[in-house]
Amino acid sequence: MISKKLDSIVARVMGVSPSEISDQSGPETIEKWDSFNGYVLLDEIETEFGIKFSLDEAINIKNVGDIKRMLKDHDVVLE
Amino acid sequence: MKIMHEHKLSYYINKANDLDIGKFGKKIRIAILSSFTLNGLAETLTVKCAEHKIGCTTYVSGYNQYNQEILNSKSKLHEFSPDIAFLILDSRSLLGDFFYFPYSISGSQRKEFIEKKIIEIHSLITAFKQQSKSKLIISNFNIPTYSSYGIFESKTDYGLHEMVIDLNSKLTELLKQDSSVYLYDLNGFTTRFGASNVFDYAKFFYGDVKITFDYLPHLANDLMGYVKPFLGLNRKCIVLDLDNTLWGGIVGEDGFEGIKIGPTAPGNAFVEFQRHLLSLQQRGIILAINSKNNPEDALQVLREHPYMILREEHFACLKINWDDKVVNMKEIAEEVNIGLDSMVFIDDDPVNREYVKVNLPEVLTIDLPNDSSQYARALMDLNDFNVLKITDEDIKRGKMYFQERQRTEFEKTAPNIDDFLRQLNIKLKIKNADQFTIPRISQLTLKTNQFNLTTYRYQEEDIKKFSENKNMLVRCVQVEDKFGDNGITGVFIVRKDNKTEWTIDTFLLSCRIIGRGVEEGMLGHILHLAKNEGVTKIKGLYIPTNKNKPCENFLSNYGFKKENDYWIYTLDSIPSIPEHLSVDIK
Repeated sequence: MISKKLDSIVARVMGVSPSEISDQSGPETIEKWDSFNGYVLLDEIETEFGIKFSLDEAINIKNVGDIKRMLKDHDVVLE
Repeated sequence: MKIMHEHKLSYYINKANDLDIGKFGKKIRIAILSSFTLNGLAETLTVKCAEHKIGCTTYVSGYNQYNQEILNSKSKLHEFSPDIAFLILDSRSLLGDFFYFPYSISGSQRKEFIEKKIIEIHSLITAFKQQSKSKLIISNFNIPTYSSYGIFESKTDYGLHEMVIDLNSKLTELLKQDSSVYLYDLNGFTTRFGASNVFDYAKFFYGDVKITFDYLPHLANDLMGYVKPFLGLNRKCIVLDLDNTLWGGIVGEDGFEGIKIGPTAPGNAFVEFQRHLLSLQQRGIILAINSKNNPEDALQVLREHPYMILREEHFACLKINWDDKVVNMKEIAEEVNIGLDSMVFIDDDPVNREYVKVNLPEVLTIDLPNDSSQYARALMDLNDFNVLKITDEDIKRGKMYFQERQRTEFEKTAPNIDDFLRQLNIKLKIKNADQFTIPRISQLTLKTNQFNLTTYRYQEEDIKKFSENKNMLVRCVQVEDKFGDNGITGVFIVRKDNKTEWTIDTFLLSCRIIGRGVEEGMLGHILHLAKNEGVTKIKGLYIPTNKNKPCENFLSNYGFKKENDYWIYTLDSIPSIPEHLSVDIK
C-alpha cells in the first residue's frame, strides 16, 4: 500500500503513469525529473509521509529505490 | 496551524502545462524578478489567473539578474514588456556579509549602509519607470528575529533588526506617493505563515529554496491581490445570510433573546465577524442581506439587539423574505446597480451556496467554514476587494447608499418626476483635474461601464498628462442634493482640436446618478465653455460596448447629428442647462 502511495506521488509530480514507475526510476528514465522537480518530489513525499529528509539523505537520493530505503530509515513501513 | 487550503506545488506545475490560455478574454503579462530562485511561482500564478479566466503570460528573470534586466533597455524583461512586474528581494541577499556580521561596523556605518541601499532601490525604480509602462510591485524585507547580540540587540544603536525595520519604513515612504509602484509586504507574509515554516535550512542548502514549496501557492495568492484589481476584477459588494451567518441560531425559532451574539462564546465569534464586515463597509464595500426570514423578526435584531455591530443603515439593500435566493441576488445587483461579477455571497448553508454557485457562477460564493470561529479568518483571507486606490468616494460609499435609499423613498412620495427633481436641490460642483481629483477621475474612467460614451480607460499618469496639456480640458463633477453628497460622480475630457472645433474624448457618469439631469447639465457646461471660446462645432463619439446601452441615445437626444463616425453639435444657439440644477464652477 505504502509503495503504491509513493508511486502515486512520483507519478503525480513527474506527470507519468504509476505503472511506469520502478525502483530504477530517476532523472535518467523520467524526462521531467530535473533537479527542481526532484526537490518538489522530496518536499511532497515529506508532507505525505510526515517525515523530513536530512540534507545528507536529500543529496543522496538518485532514484525511487533510494527513496524507499530512506523512507525505511524513517520507520515508514513499506509493503 | 490552521491555514487556508491550498494545492501542492506539483498540482500547479502540471496544470500550467495543460492550460489553453488563448481562450481567455482578459490577458496579463507578468514578470517575476527576484534575488533568489522562485521556481514554480510563475506556473502557480498562471493557474490562478486561469481560475479567474485571465490568460497569463509570464517571464521569469534569471536569479539575481534583476539589476541588469531593469537597467538594460534591450533586456529580455523589456522585450517581454510586462503589465505587472514583481520584484521580490530577500534580506540575506540585500545585507550580504552584514547579514552575519552587522557588528563588524559601527552604528553610523550601518545607517549609511541602509541609506545607500535605499538610494540604490530608488534609482532602480526610476530606471524601471523610464524603460517600462508596467506597474511595479516591490517586496519589503524580512525582519530578522535572530541576533548574535541576543537580548542586548534592542539596546544596540541601529542594530541588525533596526536596520531592516528602518529600510522597510524608508521603502514604504518612498513608494507612498508613487501611483505606479506598490509595496508587497513580504515580511507580513513571512510573519503570517511563520519564518520557521517558510524558510527551511535543508531546502535552502539543497536547492537554494528561500520560500518552501508549500507556501509558494500562498505567496501567489497574495500576488493575485495585485493582478485582480489591475484588470478591474475587484469585488464591490458582500451579500450576507442572517441566521448562523451574522448571528448564531435561528431568530424565527430561537427568538430575539435566544440568538447567539454578544460578548461570550459562541456569540463573540459573530461579533468579531461583524466588526470585520463593518470595517470593509467603512472603506467602501457595499453590504446587502439575502436571507429567508420573517422580515419583522430580522429587522428587530438589526434595529434593537444590543450586541449587533451591523445595523440597518450599514446595508445598501435588504432582501429579507421567503423568495428564491438567486432571484434575490439578481434584484440586489439591479438595485445596488453593480454586476453580479462584483458580488460575494456568504451563507452558512451549503445547499444555498451550491444553488447560487450553479445558477450564478459569476458571483463569488465563499465556502464558509462549518466552525463560526473561523468566519472572520475566512473573510480576511479574501483578497478580492483590493483596489489600486481607495478614494474619498469609496469611504463615503456606505453612507451614500443609505442616502440613496432615503432618496428612493422620497421619490415615491413626490407627485411627479419634475417636482421630485426640483425638491432634491441638486448642485453640480464642476472641478478641474488636480492632485485631489486625479485619482478619482482615473478610477471613474477605469470602472464606469454603463453611462460612458467611449469607455476609454486611463491610468492616473494619463490623466495627469492630460491635465497639464493646455489643449485638453479634464474636469469632474461632484453632485450634492438635500440628502447628502454623492461625491465625484461625473467626468469629461475634451480635446481642443483647433480654434473652432472640440472633440469629447470621454464623457461618463456613475450609474447611480443617471436620470436626474446631471448628464444634461455636464454636457451643457461643455457647450457653454465652447461657445464662450468661439468654438462652432463639437464632435462626440459613442462607442458601443456590451454594457453602455444606457447612453446610446444621449447625444442624439441632445441634438447632436450623426456625420460618419461622429456625432456633431453645431453651436448656433446656446443650449440650456436643466433649470432644477445649480451649477458651481470651482
